[in-house]
Amino acid sequence: MLTMRFGRLSLLLVGASLACGTSREADHAIVIGAPLSTQYLYGWDAQRGMQLAIEQINARGGVQVGDSSRPFRLEVLDTRDLEPGVPLSEALLVVEKLLLEKRVDVLLGGPTRSEAALAAMDIVARHRTVSILTTGALSPAYNRRIAEDYDRYRYLFRITSDAVTLAGEAVDLFEAVRRRFGFDRAYLMVQDVAHARAIGEIVATRLRERGWQLLGNEVYPTGTGDYSTGLLKARASGAQLLFVWMDHPEIAVLVKQWHDLEIPVLPIAGISSAVEQPGAWEATGGAVEFWVTSPANAGNAPSEATPLTMPFYDAYRARWGVEPEGYGTASSYTAVYVLKDAIERAGTLEPDALVRALEATDLQSVYGRIRFDPSDHQVRPSYDPAEGAVSTWFQWQAGERVVVWPPTISRGNVRIPPWLRPERVSQ
Amino acid sequence: MIVSLVIYGLINSAILALTAIGFSVTYGISRIANFAHGALYVIGGFTAWILLQRAGLPYALAAPLAIAATAALGVVLYRYVLLRVRGLPLAEVIVTFALGITALEFMRFLGFFGTNFGLAPFTARRLEILGVPVDAQRIMVVAAGLLLGAGLWWFSHRTRMGLSLRAIAQDEEAAMTVGIDADRAATLSVALGAGLAGVAAVLLVPLSFLGAESGGNVLITAIAVCIVGGLGSTMGVIVASLLIGYVQIVSVTVLGPHFQMIVALLAILLTLMIRPSGLFGQQHALEERL
Repeated sequence: MLTMRFGRLSLLLVGASLACGTSREADHAIVIGAPLSTQYLYGWDAQRGMQLAIEQINARGGVQVGDSSRPFRLEVLDTRDLEPGVPLSEALLVVEKLLLEKRVDVLLGGPTRSEAALAAMDIVARHRTVSILTTGALSPAYNRRIAEDYDRYRYLFRITSDAVTLAGEAVDLFEAVRRRFGFDRAYLMVQDVAHARAIGEIVATRLRERGWQLLGNEVYPTGTGDYSTGLLKARASGAQLLFVWMDHPEIAVLVKQWHDLEIPVLPIAGISSAVEQPGAWEATGGAVEFWVTSPANAGNAPSEATPLTMPFYDAYRARWGVEPEGYGTASSYTAVYVLKDAIERAGTLEPDALVRALEATDLQSVYGRIRFDPSDHQVRPSYDPAEGAVSTWFQWQAGERVVVWPPTISRGNVRIPPWLRPERVSQ
Repeated sequence: MIVSLVIYGLINSAILALTAIGFSVTYGISRIANFAHGALYVIGGFTAWILLQRAGLPYALAAPLAIAATAALGVVLYRYVLLRVRGLPLAEVIVTFALGITALEFMRFLGFFGTNFGLAPFTARRLEILGVPVDAQRIMVVAAGLLLGAGLWWFSHRTRMGLSLRAIAQDEEAAMTVGIDADRAATLSVALGAGLAGVAAVLLVPLSFLGAESGGNVLITAIAVCIVGGLGSTMGVIVASLLIGYVQIVSVTVLGPHFQMIVALLAILLTLMIRPSGLFGQQHALEERL
């Protein structure tokens, strides 16, 4: 608690000190606007990731724009779009405020919720401001819309994987677990939000195509605080794998109930804040053991994905007193460097020049090679860090977050809870 | 499936009853609708968390201390705030609601949000009842609910203090004529309600997690149960908890997870339409309006 408190306090102080710089510096700075749901993991971790990158870049002299060197400055506003019951208009208002009142040069971060990010596309496009999504907003509709109307949406980019990619990785992981333990019966539980429903449908379809028995598919409204009925249904159905995709904090309840009732399924959760966080072990009293989850990109859990991964990991821990926490950390940190690289190549902040520079990006990062598809501005994913952006899936094992997928960066194998009987065990 | 519905319906009902009983007791005795109930629950939970996780106290010491601290906060709430607006129901609601929101937002400012705050169960044991797995913490919740109900009945029917509180609840002016101190009774009622919020937090947080954002849900649940059962009626809380608890579990099983909250809110709506005073409520003037 104290760490969080002082962390937030230092964020405020850093923001205040940056804001109180000389007017010359303020005029000179490249202003990054970050619409983030700051009360949630995917907001504050993204903010910390960006802040760290900005501090590193500014300490080394800033960004070379043509003949001058300019520092970055961060403006963060709370979109609240991950909070249940908060209308999406709040997030749109924040985006407008960043563009019109704060007069930011570039947008990084969110909005975090897919629905809000999709709604904000037209606003950003109308203001001809370059935007790179670094957290949340997994819906494939985002890059599909860019591809369908490139001229209008060409200023928009996404540096994290979309739902289709992550769902495909989940299914590949399922297959690896099937080869190892002989499991072929699955049960799905997803949150009732656009990206999670989309992923649930994709995973269900692909699992059926590959011969899995899909024994249930529960859709939970945001904020649901009891999963015992669904878990008992999964148990009664004879499922062996439980696929969960929920980003609301109440997934912590699901973790505890699964553990307390010893439901005989191996839980594999996608983007799930309460499972991703380093504090999940203490918060659940160890109930999170055996949960597999993905904090999206490599670097958000310890691995040697690239030579930059662990230096980032250590720098983040040294700066904020906590390990990189979740989905938005490595991608938000990386996006600042990608932006710096593009600005320096473009030699200007003119939006269309910046778009062309971003489309030509080819940069080694914390989570692999960063290149954008020029047609839909989606970062190119890969299991090979030398080829593209690598995701990471880890399992809680004895209090540690052990990367188990993909094999190119894994540090261990998937284990199953003692109350789940494997059909077979092979290496 | 039916056994599972029966067992988990009962557990869900006990959770609802524990969540609502503090709100009901305070209203039943002093007619104060304490809308800071959710905040008191969260404060009780965080006090227990700090004592357990940071001070390193054992459960046996941390739990009663957290409950006592929450009850003491109830005393402060009445003596320094509610006393000034006593007898003005709307002002009481506004003041307690505002204080509740302020307390929750302050906790949020201090960093008490997210999913990093949880209490371990009292015991990790688990058993099967007719083939249905149930963990010991949930059984303890049901047992605690029953004990609390029995304890409250004994307190209100067999102790001098309890009898004086009942007298105040039945007719405040008549009770004052026989020497019962109404302010002292009201202080006790708010403290008792706050203490019960603390009891609920200590028992229920191990089943979920704790965050400033939990306060709103606790308040809505408590209000739903109390409106259906009848404001201020302990029997109403028990019956309404069983009713809502079982309907929730059955509807979630048969219709889907979305019905968990819909059932509670629908119950409020139906009650207000058909029987505004609730199942066991005493506000019959409300019925006369229909």
